[in-house]
Amino acid sequence: MTSPAAELQGITKRFGAVVACDNVDLALQRGEIHGILGENGAGKSTLMKVLIGLVLPDAGAIRINGESRRIGDPAEAAELGIGMVHQHFSLVEPLTVWENVILGEPIRLDAAAAKRRVGEISERYGLAIDPDERISDLSAGLRQRVEIIKCLRRDPAIVILDEPTSVLTPGESEQLFEVLRLVVERENKAVALVSHKLDEVLAATDQITIMRAGAVVDRRDTADADAPGLARAMVGRPVSLRSEGAALGHIEAFEDDRLATGPVVEAARATEPQPVLSIRGATARGRDRRTLLDGLSLDVHPGEIVGVAGVEGNGQAALSDLLSSLLPLESGTVRVRDERPLPGRPGAMAAAGVAVVPADRHESGCVLDMTVAENLTLVSPPRPRTGRALLDRAGRALLDRAGRQAHAERLIEQFGIQTPGADAPMWSLSGGNQQRVVLARELSGDPAVLVAAQPTRGLDVGAIEYVSERLREAAADGVAVLLISTELEEVLDLADRIVVIFRGRIVGEMDRANLDVERLGLLMSGAQEAAAS
Amino acid sequence: MVGDFFSAVGDVLSSETTYSSGWRLAVALAFVAVGEWIAERAGTINISVEGSMLAGAFAAAMGYDASGSVAVGLLIGAAAGLLVGAVQAHFSHNLTANQFVVGLTLNILVLGLASFLNSSLKPETATAHVFEVPGLVEIPLLGPALFGQPWPLYLLYPLVPLAWWLVYRTRWGLEVRAVGENPQAADVSSIDVNARRRQAIYFAGITSGLGGGYLLLGQVGWFEDAIVGGQGFIAIAAVIFGGWTLRGAMLGCLLFGSANSFRLSLPAVGHPLNSELLSSLPFVLTICVMALFAHRTREPQSLARPFIRGLR
Amino acid sequence: MTATSAGAGDVRYDRAREGATVLGIYLASIAVALVAAALVLLATGGSWTSVLSALLDGSVRGPGRWGTTIGVAIPLLLVALGTIVNSRGGLVNLGQEGQLFVGAALGTYVATHIGTGGPGVLFLIMLAGVAGGAIWAGIAAVLRYQRRMPEVLTTLLLVFVASQAVGYGLKNKNLLLDPTPDQANRNLISERLRPDTRLPRLDWFGNEFPMTAFIALLLAILVALVLRWTIVGFRLQMLGRGPRTAHRAGVSEARYGGLALVVSGAFCGLAGAFMLAGGDFGNYRLTPNYPVNIGWEGLLVALVGRNHPLVSIPVAFIFAGLRTGSGFLAATGVDRDITKVVQALLVLALLVPPAILFVRDRRRALAAAADRV
Repeated sequence: MTSPAAELQGITKRFGAVVACDNVDLALQRGEIHGILGENGAGKSTLMKVLIGLVLPDAGAIRINGESRRIGDPAEAAELGIGMVHQHFSLVEPLTVWENVILGEPIRLDAAAAKRRVGEISERYGLAIDPDERISDLSAGLRQRVEIIKCLRRDPAIVILDEPTSVLTPGESEQLFEVLRLVVERENKAVALVSHKLDEVLAATDQITIMRAGAVVDRRDTADADAPGLARAMVGRPVSLRSEGAALGHIEAFEDDRLATGPVVEAARATEPQPVLSIRGATARGRDRRTLLDGLSLDVHPGEIVGVAGVEGNGQAALSDLLSSLLPLESGTVRVRDERPLPGRPGAMAAAGVAVVPADRHESGCVLDMTVAENLTLVSPPRPRTGRALLDRAGRALLDRAGRQAHAERLIEQFGIQTPGADAPMWSLSGGNQQRVVLARELSGDPAVLVAAQPTRGLDVGAIEYVSERLREAAADGVAVLLISTELEEVLDLADRIVVIFRGRIVGEMDRANLDVERLGLLMSGAQEAAAS
Repeated sequence: MVGDFFSAVGDVLSSETTYSSGWRLAVALAFVAVGEWIAERAGTINISVEGSMLAGAFAAAMGYDASGSVAVGLLIGAAAGLLVGAVQAHFSHNLTANQFVVGLTLNILVLGLASFLNSSLKPETATAHVFEVPGLVEIPLLGPALFGQPWPLYLLYPLVPLAWWLVYRTRWGLEVRAVGENPQAADVSSIDVNARRRQAIYFAGITSGLGGGYLLLGQVGWFEDAIVGGQGFIAIAAVIFGGWTLRGAMLGCLLFGSANSFRLSLPAVGHPLNSELLSSLPFVLTICVMALFAHRTREPQSLARPFIRGLR
Repeated sequence: MTATSAGAGDVRYDRAREGATVLGIYLASIAVALVAAALVLLATGGSWTSVLSALLDGSVRGPGRWGTTIGVAIPLLLVALGTIVNSRGGLVNLGQEGQLFVGAALGTYVATHIGTGGPGVLFLIMLAGVAGGAIWAGIAAVLRYQRRMPEVLTTLLLVFVASQAVGYGLKNKNLLLDPTPDQANRNLISERLRPDTRLPRLDWFGNEFPMTAFIALLLAILVALVLRWTIVGFRLQMLGRGPRTAHRAGVSEARYGGLALVVSGAFCGLAGAFMLAGGDFGNYRLTPNYPVNIGWEGLLVALVGRNHPLVSIPVAFIFAGLRTGSGFLAATGVDRDITKVVQALLVLALLVPPAILFVRDRRRALAAAADRV
């Protein structure tokens, strides 16, 4: 048997006290798709970063075609025939497709040759694209197509895909896996598919390596694997809870009729027919005149969780911004209870009772350079109270630092935030704890509406479970919850009602009772007619 | 008063010296703007161009004093500009100190250093000779302005297309543009983000130093502390006014340079207008023009934001 | 609760080592700056011992020099306080020099046109100074929030407009120029302030300085208190460190950012008025180039003081000392501009340590959080 295309032996990487990879072995064979399965934080991304040269391991060896190599940066990896399709951040929007494809390559800039090459690759793999198009004009699916072309352009022997389906519709995912199959079978490449989704690993791979807490816990032939076994290996114990199934990307769980809507929700909706949040005909454009929202209408009733499903880049960010007072509308209205907060006006939504757990946590969820206590009281910092009206009015301009400290400590306790103290800077917290701070602040203000945008992105299973539970509790307490997520499983898990967002408008709606995952997929890809018939 | 003003404008517009001096002043700005344009495309608002320009002017004076050659003077001027640019680049894109703070401090440092050295070394200088491009100089009104100038001015003519070519037709330029728009993406595409940003600032330093050298040896003829007097800042304004396109930036320089020449030629054609008000004209005009047009343009997405790998 | 006493000891040890590292980085940076300054000096044939001695004589050792240095430190501190306010809001004001000049000019205009004197007029002069600086910075604020022009650039450009505009006023008898006949058009200076509109000066052990020194100190404490103990201070900080989050939490960028810029300008304007009525600058008259770099240096004071109002007090005094000391350099044959070089080099050097430490701390935290995100 020939040596594997790439072999990682005894890779260990520590970050401070945390061991991200602990003596990991992995072999990628030619002509195989190798699934690397594990929950967020299991160390699979770090392992791939070692292979692509973004992270230097503390110990261990890398062999490419049997020869020992040291990979110091992505350029060296590229020389060795290793290419990666990144999950985020690797396309420059104002540049064209061909410019992006050749970006970073040590060659002379030759537009005609580059475009020819893009054409060739897109033909070879059936990835149609116009090389002169600007990235900013492309949908998320097409952008990923550009990423793949960029990766394949240098004809790598080893292709790494990092969570590639997070921006795709189910249909687009199928297509992607077909391309991967083609690459493997026709060109004998080695493919590594990094994922936390059981279903796609089961469907698309030949071999599976399962990682947990930085170590390899199991290896299987895909043919011999089944979902419950993989899930058990990933999490380290039998998986029973629904939300865990969702976190692991297992859709089948939801087509089970055990999942009836809870009685609490039914009761709440029955007594409160009036929506607490109501958006009508919201239309907005970005600074570059691009349409962000296109007549979007949406109602959320008290006590229900409405899930907004859709492929990334279809207006989810704008919807979240709208409800964060960050986006003014060209036309349309937002009504919260009996108020009509002016969209875009600083703090208007928060004042009307809309709490938001935003997707861009670091930009609009918290302030990294402030303390945990400060972050817990951003919206309504405590003022000193004496009980005397006159003094209190004067004191409204003042900050009650002791009160803030006490309030923060209460919330830290209540929400189980792990921090060295209320005075610790926000940036020193882990992502999961930062998210808890945001949740704590938003929920402590007694909101009428809670908007959660990608609330579990980048969190580990424990934190995901926690966040999901909090959202359910909020709904049970009568808060109208709007969940915006590109992770279909998450929406399916939590939502009582699902609406689909496509190109800035709501194109379809579905009750949990009449769930039809296939139709949902069609709606998400914009195939309205097909779905209607 | 208003009538006076318009007749003055008329006189100015029909005078050859207006175009001549307008062009000269615009060229000084353009030297700087060409480099600043690239620096900003790479993501830095490089306010130390003012210091680069002043360093260039003083070094050119020293170089000329020592060698008696304008060419050597310009070369040393460019080197001094580069030196200032290099400090700015390393402070802001290696040590990640705030770019404005570094730029401002450098400007103050250069001003102090130049006036200190000037008073102790007192370089003697002269202006470069005028070179008339045969034939082209005969063009009425514009001929002498464009082609009958001290020779260092002509250095700009190849510099502008060179800069355009660098940015739009070379790999380096593509990477510079990528780095200014989305440094994270550039980083994972194995581009050294901060190196590109530094290189762009070096380029700005060189052209600004050259601009300072031109100002001294091609225009003023002797060194004084106020020789640059905010022209570097106007050049930055021109880049922003031009919407981060080279064409727009050059147009901005022409506009602001002409405003400056108005100040010089109004008295020359016999209209005594207050010189202070005229001196502030380029600055006021810059602000007004930008206020009218600048907000419509799209800036490089990560302009003035530092890049540290791993931090967002 | 498993931390043992040994663990606590480790922490203390780490703290000590950490402190030593930080101190080391700072000392090394300062040393580099001083060596560079000494090299500049040597290149021009000066002697650094005589320069140092002259600087000390001029700033504190000579008779009455403490007072002079305090007089210079007052406007430096005020400008620094303004700068701290706008930096807190995340805005970059580089136009202090111009705002100070306009403040001083407006103060002069009020002083010379009101016809009478007395404490009321003195108060009006101060008010005019505040208004002048605030208006000048306000222009940049309006352009920033109405027209999206970077305040970095507009404040800078306005410095030049200010100096020309005041220069125009100083040529015009109806505005600022001294109208007395024997003085006509010769010198571009304003009338002197009447003695009863000047700031009272104190004399402590032969050191004379205006009483505004105490106002400046009080203002420094006030700024520190406002930033720390009020809602406005908290919201301003939020704006500076996370503008999007701040917007969501109800902090209007235009209102708070504009306010920060205007307040910053007001402090500079007040500094101008203090200079005018204090007597340490220009002998109670406005002259062309009146701000003599106090605006720029005040900005540097805030930088070196790490944007802390109370730390800025000693920094302002040190910077003032360099300035007053430079007046004694003539005897050594070294041009007084050397102090500007020293100052700028010091500032540049002091930018390095925080930058290094920032990146290091963040890297550590991120590395620790990296794979358990």
